[in-house]
Amino acid sequence: MTDDEEPGIDVDEYDDVWVFVEEHAGDVMPVSWELLEEGRKLAEKLGDELVALVIGEDVDEIAEEALARGADRVLVADDPVFEPYRADPYGEQFRAMVEEYKPSIALIGGTHTGRDFAGRVAVPAHAGLTADVTEIDVDDDGLLQARRPAFGGDVLATILCEDHRPQMATIRPGVFEAAEPTDEADGEIVEADVVVEEADCISEVLEREVGDTADITEAERIVAVGHGVEGDLEPARELAEALDAELAASRAAVDEGWIDGARQVGQTGKTVRPDLYVAVGISGAIQHLEGMNKSGTVIAINNDPNAPIFDHADYGIVGDLVEVCPDLADRLEGELQEVVQ
Amino acid sequence: MSWTIAVGVKQVPDDDEVGIDPDTGRLDRASAPAVMNPPDREALEAALTIRDQVGGEVIAVTMGPPNAKTVLEQAVAMGCDDAVLVTDRAFAGSDTWPTSLTLARTAEALEADVVVCGEETTDSSTGQVPPGIAAHNGWAQLTYVEGVDARPEEDRLAARRDVEGGHELVAAELPVVVAVAYGEFDPRPAGLHRKIYAENDFEPTQWTAEDLEIKEEVGLDVSPTSVGGMETVDPVDRKGEVVDETDDLAEVLTEVSA
Amino acid sequence: MTPELDGDAVADPNYDDEFDAIVVGAGLAGSAAALTMANRGLEVLLIERGSSPGAKNVFGGVCYTPTIRELTDFDGAPLERYVAERRFSMLSRNDETAVSISPGEWHEAPHNDSYTVLRGEFDEWFAEQAVEAGTTLVTSTTVTGLVRKNGRIVGVETDRPDGTIRAPYVVLAEGGNSLVSEGADLKATETRENVAVGVKEVLEFPGRDEVIEDRFRLTDDAGVSYHYFGEGAVGDAFGGGFIYTNDDTVSIGVAYRIEDAVAADQSPEATLNAFKSHPAVAPLVRDARTVEYSAKTIPEGGAESIPDLVHDGAAIVGDAAGLVLNNGVHLEGTNMAVESGYHAGNAIARAADQGRVGAKALQAYPDALERSFVVQNLERYAWMMDAVEADRDLLFEDLPRAFADAGTEYFRMDRTPKEAHAENAKRAVLDAVGGWTGAAKLALRYRKVVT
Ligand SMILES: Cc1cc2nc3c(=O)[nH]c(=O)nc-3n(C[C@H](O)[C@H](O)[C@H](O)COP(=O)(O)OP(=O)(O)OC[C@H]3O[C@@H](n4cnc5c(N)ncnc54)[C@H](O)[C@@H]3O)c2cc1C
Ligand SMILES: Cc1cc2nc3c(=O)[nH]c(=O)nc-3n(C[C@H](O)[C@H](O)[C@H](O)COP(=O)(O)OP(=O)(O)OC[C@H]3O[C@@H](n4cnc5c(N)ncnc54)[C@H](O)[C@@H]3O)c2cc1C
Ligand SMILES: Nc1ncnc2c1ncn2[C@@H]1O[C@H](COP(=O)(O)O)[C@@H](O)[C@H]1O
Repeated sequence: MTDDEEPGIDVDEYDDVWVFVEEHAGDVMPVSWELLEEGRKLAEKLGDELVALVIGEDVDEIAEEALARGADRVLVADDPVFEPYRADPYGEQFRAMVEEYKPSIALIGGTHTGRDFAGRVAVPAHAGLTADVTEIDVDDDGLLQARRPAFGGDVLATILCEDHRPQMATIRPGVFEAAEPTDEADGEIVEADVVVEEADCISEVLEREVGDTADITEAERIVAVGHGVEGDLEPARELAEALDAELAASRAAVDEGWIDGARQVGQTGKTVRPDLYVAVGISGAIQHLEGMNKSGTVIAINNDPNAPIFDHADYGIVGDLVEVCPDLADRLEGELQEVVQ
Repeated sequence: MSWTIAVGVKQVPDDDEVGIDPDTGRLDRASAPAVMNPPDREALEAALTIRDQVGGEVIAVTMGPPNAKTVLEQAVAMGCDDAVLVTDRAFAGSDTWPTSLTLARTAEALEADVVVCGEETTDSSTGQVPPGIAAHNGWAQLTYVEGVDARPEEDRLAARRDVEGGHELVAAELPVVVAVAYGEFDPRPAGLHRKIYAENDFEPTQWTAEDLEIKEEVGLDVSPTSVGGMETVDPVDRKGEVVDETDDLAEVLTEVSA
Repeated sequence: MTPELDGDAVADPNYDDEFDAIVVGAGLAGSAAALTMANRGLEVLLIERGSSPGAKNVFGGVCYTPTIRELTDFDGAPLERYVAERRFSMLSRNDETAVSISPGEWHEAPHNDSYTVLRGEFDEWFAEQAVEAGTTLVTSTTVTGLVRKNGRIVGVETDRPDGTIRAPYVVLAEGGNSLVSEGADLKATETRENVAVGVKEVLEFPGRDEVIEDRFRLTDDAGVSYHYFGEGAVGDAFGGGFIYTNDDTVSIGVAYRIEDAVAADQSPEATLNAFKSHPAVAPLVRDARTVEYSAKTIPEGGAESIPDLVHDGAAIVGDAAGLVLNNGVHLEGTNMAVESGYHAGNAIARAADQGRVGAKALQAYPDALERSFVVQNLERYAWMMDAVEADRDLLFEDLPRAFADAGTEYFRMDRTPKEAHAENAKRAVLDAVGGWTGAAKLALRYRKVVT
């Protein structure tokens, strides 16, 4: 099972930039299209092809869409064994394809599924895998430079993978712009051999429930709630409505189950960069800041004057969110009316 | 029925205390006190929960320098039955590939039915080690786990996973590697007598790379990734103005959203 | 070859009666007791609720170390500065009248055994000395009650699972907020008038070197202890303010009676802020940033409110036993805490050697304390608190103002002869104290402070 290759493979045998297209029941995760756009730039610099990797069941349309969004080639592994996602069949399939096609770079969205998958497949491929990347480039030698925040975002570390292939990275969702579909797609779709069988699988999905699939990364305005709301989203929701903003959250609020994980901002959530970010009852932990510190104007509402969030906000008010939010919402609606009159 | 449950715990610099050395611009991690990676405390809780469900033994494992022993003491204080310190100079410079190999071999040596890990570490935050362990051993893996349901009669562990846009319940055959979602398992407090024992009288078993027969497969040389450079990031410049009245804030908000 | 577990892990550890004594609280008193007993060969368990000893402990800043220096090797102790100058100021609303003392002898080791310290570091170091002597320390564990058997105290209960542990002797060193001792009826809850509240900030001066040396006229490790009284220090309340210099921070705070805090509706923060902005104080702390804020109660009952120090199976030491001297001129608790811990530790070690338990077996502790400076000092100043309370308006409002007025008059520059100025100055003071008779009475009443 294990493939303990010795270091020092012939890196020149490997080329092309792969992007893993993550789909669940026909829905593609937005980060996949973001990576396609970014992968395009790398492929052009390297003079390589951009290959989209589509694994799933009945994924023809997704393969077509990947072409339309700029892939030179789409590698498809289409089989019921791949729906829904499981690490072991996906991992084995990927390993086989890497062995056959020898990609130089493989980019994977840093979603839960992407990270589950990447961690699994990098080992048998003896690939170099960099997690949670926020910047990518290639250097003059064609080596992937994967940059990621380290130690709470104070440092940007550049991770290289010199002697192993593929050079893999999971990329944080929301960091890059997505590739838009065009009509001039002229790439090809290639069916890969499916190497796994249901009988070999060691895991079984018993139930699957779909929740909120909101994409907060596109929002221009965000009101984010933290543990300080203590389960009552109403004040923040009022404010969000007055501002016409999307609701997002810190991990603490997500963990409490007050709001869906799709709306989590931060290192292990999404990176957002709205024009306006209002943090309501959020302390400003580094893991949270990492996901929102590229926002335009940042506003903090917190009752603790020493909360770190105030150091990372343009404007703040020290007060009880239960009072401040509705009050603010009222005034905003007032102002808005004035503007209208 | 009883399972052997291994838990990977790692010592990390205390997040709140890591500073940047003004001279080198590098992170001054040496001066930050070492603590247990917070997600690993939750991994321990998940492991003890599984033990509560099926019976068996929970064995904490860390790969690290000799002073990483303190995190094992904490694990034993919390309720682990035993602990292994895997320590060897040969491990220096290991990235996630050899780290997960080491933990995979350790889990095999312990004949583990389940390996429980934290979601990720606060110092390297890759989350790659648990799937790496599973891959090295060809075992099943369950990541982002929010709840565990041991099913000894099926020789399987079922888990509720947090996945994009929802949740799923997955059953995996033993042996299985579990990485628990951070924030879902509230670590139990250590018992008084266990705490006294763990901190004063307990000694973990120590294994080396040689014991695990992986001396040539660990360390800097076999690590596929290397750090090419570190740049300190200038913090985003914020105005940091605190206003007294909601009115003032409303004004700002109307301005920026105009 | 597969490696194997050593397999010697204990499945169900139990430490009941494995220790000779349990000490509750790793403050100065607790660590002193633990160290003393460990030095005498006892197995000691020291239980501290903070994540490390001293983590949350509050005090002003000067640690008096004559006993500590005897108990352990003092060389590695984390001291900030030695006290080279003591200054006493009377503050009215806008004026200051001060006396400063800085004998040359204080610059020589052991520096009159007076050092500013930060408790987070100092208490941790002191507890470490006890650990090195063989004490077992458990942190993050709060004692919630005592275990009794036939009336005798035989152990403690903690907030942890499986949290009861037994030992023949228990030392209560839990500080002023002594919930365990009170809960177990070993002492009465302090009456309001005998409790003061202390609030303190640690200030730093970001991006500036030598601020402390310059502002307080210091070189090397020398430091200052400034005490302030009068309405400019704590407003209407009964108490005072202080400033101590640390290595590169300054501790500033106020301590005053809780009763006044309620009566005058004066929050600790507001009182401290007013003190910080007094014209005599503000320049000393200009451009500072607060890095720490803390508040705590101080027992000030003096000699009369010392509870029974020993019980069947237990002894009470330090602030828990009300051993603090706070009279305006002296604010001393650290030395008394250590001294009491030392005597209690000795008494227990002796009782353990003789295999005796019970209150009588520990009587050596109160006896020794009675003979020591601790009780002697408290008794000497016991009368003073009452006197000061009776003269409160005079001492804290009228007199500071009168001294300020007297100074203003005495040094007035105008075309009137100095004799008239001197007369006006004298009158200002005499008016305040009630003429010569008043002054004489006052001098008589307070002579013990200085003689
Ligand atoms: C491996 C790892 C990954 C992580 N990833 C993320 C991530 O992606 N995103 C993320 O956000 N976090 C993440 N975290 C968690 C992070 O460290 C913090 O724990 C979390 O961000 C705290 O959330 P919070 O600010 O909502 O809660 P808290 O830190 O509890 O703060 C609540 C705040 O609300 C204020 N408050 C309380 N009541 C009121 C009131 N009535 N009115 C006004 N204010 C009030 C309080 O003063 C406080 O500042 C991660 C942690 C780890 C270890
Ligand atoms: C503002 C202020 C300024 C002061 N300034 C000075 C000064 O300049 N010089 C001076 O000599 N004295 C000063 N004092 C007095 C001095 O701080 C005390 O007298 C001294 O600290 C008493 O020591 P202790 O060991 O008895 O109590 P503490 O130092 O209070 O220690 C008690 C310990 O017990 C722990 N504890 C409490 N309850 C429990 C429990 N249930 N279970 C486990 N652990 C527990 C606490 O965490 C703490 O570590 C000042 C006090 C205050 C409040
Ligand atoms: N050196 C190590 N020793 C033991 N467990 C580890 C080690 N490194 C990582 N782990 C485990 O793997 C999880 C994920 O770590 P990482 O992939 O480094 O983010 C951690 O939460 C631990 O449970």
